[in-house]
Amino acid sequence: MTAAAAIQQVYVIDDDEAVRDSIGMLLESADLPFRSFASADEFFAQLDHNQRGCLVLDIRMPGMTGLQLQQRLAEVGSTLPVIFITGHGDVPMAVEAMRQGALDFLRKPVNESNFIERIQHAFDIESGKWHQKHDREQQLAQIASLTEREREVFDLVAEGLANKAIAGRLGISERTVEVHRAQVMKKLGARTLAQLVRIHLQAEISGFESK
Amino acid sequence: MGKSPHPLPAAPGSTGDYDRLETLLQNLPGMAYRCLNLKHWPMDFVSDGCLELCGYERHEIESQSVLWGDFTHPEMLDFVDRTVREAAERGEPFEVEYRIIARDGTEKWVWERGRVVDHRADGVAILEGFITDITDRKLAEAALVRAEAYAQAIVESAVDAIITVDDQGGIESFNQAASAMFGYRPGEVRGQHCRKLVAADYYREFDRFFQRNRRPVQNAPARVELNGSDKRGRNFPIVLSMREILDVAEHKYVILIHDLTEQREAERQVREQRDVLAHVDRLNTLGEMAAGIAHEINQPLTAISMYAQSSLRFLNREQPELQRLEEALEKLSQQAHRAGAVIERMQEMTRPHQSHQESVDAGRLLREIHELGEVEAQIRNFIIVLRHDDRLPRVDCDVIQIQQVILNLLRNGMESMRSKPCNPGSKIVLQARLLGGRLRISIIDSGHGVSSQLAGQLYQPFTSTKQSGMGLGLSISRSIIAAHGGQLEFSNNKGGGATFFFDLAVAG
Repeated sequence: MTAAAAIQQVYVIDDDEAVRDSIGMLLESADLPFRSFASADEFFAQLDHNQRGCLVLDIRMPGMTGLQLQQRLAEVGSTLPVIFITGHGDVPMAVEAMRQGALDFLRKPVNESNFIERIQHAFDIESGKWHQKHDREQQLAQIASLTEREREVFDLVAEGLANKAIAGRLGISERTVEVHRAQVMKKLGARTLAQLVRIHLQAEISGFESK
Repeated sequence: MGKSPHPLPAAPGSTGDYDRLETLLQNLPGMAYRCLNLKHWPMDFVSDGCLELCGYERHEIESQSVLWGDFTHPEMLDFVDRTVREAAERGEPFEVEYRIIARDGTEKWVWERGRVVDHRADGVAILEGFITDITDRKLAEAALVRAEAYAQAIVESAVDAIITVDDQGGIESFNQAASAMFGYRPGEVRGQHCRKLVAADYYREFDRFFQRNRRPVQNAPARVELNGSDKRGRNFPIVLSMREILDVAEHKYVILIHDLTEQREAERQVREQRDVLAHVDRLNTLGEMAAGIAHEINQPLTAISMYAQSSLRFLNREQPELQRLEEALEKLSQQAHRAGAVIERMQEMTRPHQSHQESVDAGRLLREIHELGEVEAQIRNFIIVLRHDDRLPRVDCDVIQIQQVILNLLRNGMESMRSKPCNPGSKIVLQARLLGGRLRISIIDSGHGVSSQLAGQLYQPFTSTKQSGMGLGLSISRSIIAAHGGQLEFSNNKGGGATFFFDLAVAG
């Protein structure tokens, strides 16, 4: 997948040009790649599923606010961590942001070394999430590569049915079930029955529907 | 006739001449007489005019059954007697005006002229003369005197200075109020040019006013406000009006001068109170805007700290990046100025301020207040749209106070919009358009509009729909606009919301 090659960068979103520019310069001085956006809408318009890194997001902006962008990102399943920066000591807003899963909530003026640390931290978290997500996507792709019959066998194995019972349910020979089952294990990279069941569970969490 | 014991001497000889004289005497409006210079002047000849003059027939007088002294007003008898006697002793003609009481009791003023014409053998002087009724003239004279006295009394009791001047501006009369106002006695200024009463700085203005009213030209100003100057050289504000005195052969003018010192003082007190209230309102407004202001200062501070940290990093690299360092420091400096400017603007708004009007660039005025309004708008997630003609004129106003009014109106508009479910990013419009030679400033919101219930008490102080509001904003705004010669008005928009607007004078 090309996504694997995407580099982590900081997406700076602030309507104040000077703040944007100065954050950019600091990131540059720390050799952190970044891109700046003057509004949440501008960022959202170019959002790409493969983008990696984190957001440094001003909470109050004309047009779409930081909180609103955070919501929309969650809706489209983005895993980019959000570091909010705000000039307002607005407690309810901070609570709301954290409740929505913000990684950090920094007050302006931001303590710089802390800032770089927080970005590094966000990158790490995003890395973890990305890999998880990547693995899951791989799994989903693997599941998708199963034939119709293999899927049926996979679902029934995950339900805990024995080969014989599966054969009876599907009206095929026990031997044929065994062959399909071996194929499923191979395609999904599972070595044990336990692994196979876990993959099925994870897939269900990801919205995968049992047949 | 002819029965007289003392026929007229020097009477012309012929009967014809005598008749002519008789006719002449009959036609005279008065009475000719001859009498003895004795007590009460017994008369032996009177002309027919006696009947009209005193109500007695000739024969009654000539028979001396009544004496002239009986008609003479008792109060004046001595005076007449003395006048006549003294003239007779000197042998000179006399002339005297006095009152008589006619037969029917009416009082009359008479004028008498006579002289000694002869002496009786016993030395008693014989007088001849003529008496005529001058009551009408006397009444007219009295009326005139009374009218003049009235006029004089009015002029002298007037609070305002009233002076009359000739065609050249020379002072002819100077009333008491003028004396009190300017410190001159009438005698000191009579004949001097009335310009003397005006402060030297205003000579030209006064002369122009005088010339235009001397031979009134069209649209001559009825009054002029300038500074007067009293005897001690003290200057004080006056308003002066001038009018020609009609029906005078020469051109003469009356000039009325009213001292404006007290009025100005009252105006100053009102202005001071307004300034104080305006200051309180500004402090209150900025207090309410504290969060936004903190944000406004935090932005440059954030940038400054970021640039500073970047600078350190560029400097601490193995190969210091001096060019980047320089760039960072330059930007840092800019941001420091930016923060300073925010603070300065706040200070300007919070400083006690003595109102004064000046000619200012309307564009700059609007941009500045737009920025300040944005502080509030950002927090509330509104957008202030500045909309104006391409070319904006200079306007005469007190910048701080007009900005205060606009800020008040913007905040009110946003408040009204906030209490209504508005989309984030809702717009409030600040608009400036030239309209009939004045610059109309409008603040157009899309909030609730002004209910008829609220409209009645809108401008009352301490009326507020805001929980935290002092309710001073609109009332002080209105008085600020009134002090600018305008009116703060509002109308509800067709599509909802309200528009508040006022006009500013374009600088001349």
